[in-house]
Amino acid sequence: MAKNLKLKAARAGHDLSQQELAELVGVSRQTINAIEKGEYNPTIKLCRAICRALGTTLNDLFWEENEE
Amino acid sequence: MKNMKNNLDEMQEAKLLQIEHNACWLAFWGLLAALVVQLFLFGMDSFRILAGEWIVFMVLAVYLSAACLKNGIWDRRLKADRRTNLLVSLVAAAAAALLFGGVALVRYHSAGGALAAALISLVLVFACCFAALSLTARSYKKTLARLESQGDEDAESD
Repeated sequence: MAKNLKLKAARAGHDLSQQELAELVGVSRQTINAIEKGEYNPTIKLCRAICRALGTTLNDLFWEENEE
Repeated sequence: MKNMKNNLDEMQEAKLLQIEHNACWLAFWGLLAALVVQLFLFGMDSFRILAGEWIVFMVLAVYLSAACLKNGIWDRRLKADRRTNLLVSLVAAAAAALLFGGVALVRYHSAGGALAAALISLVLVFACCFAALSLTARSYKKTLARLESQGDEDAESD
């Protein structure tokens, strides 16, 4: 699975650390880290929570045009 | 008792489920290995020695089978058809023949006895295994059909 650089950029854009984003959405820092590194495929529920916390949409953070 | 708060998030929960999955299969194959080793050590008239492991092994096996059947799950790769059931029964019968023939040879030092034990196990295990697989495959297909039709009804009522 590819790295989720869009999530990393959006988080940095809000000046949030992985720990702060994790607390906002109610998961551990290691989960946010694993999502950004592409090591964990989050549920739609968590994707939506992250989008709400960062004020973005699912398309902005989790959609890939040429996904294999 | 009130539901205790889950301290794990979804990724940790998924990892814990994977760990528990590995532990379950470790226990399953470990118990089977322990039963085989004890059969070789103590022979076939040692049910009292094997009873504890055998009961836990059977509870585990029955739970896994019943839970899968109830949820309309057969196997990741094998299909619930007659040909596959025949092949699986043959493999199980061959394994049982090797096991009980081997135990008889090691414990009682009789080639004739070992051959007889192997043949009897081959026939009995094949018959029991094929019958059990055929019955459970039929039950699985019925459950699957029921679950699939339930899905259709739900979709229509939405």
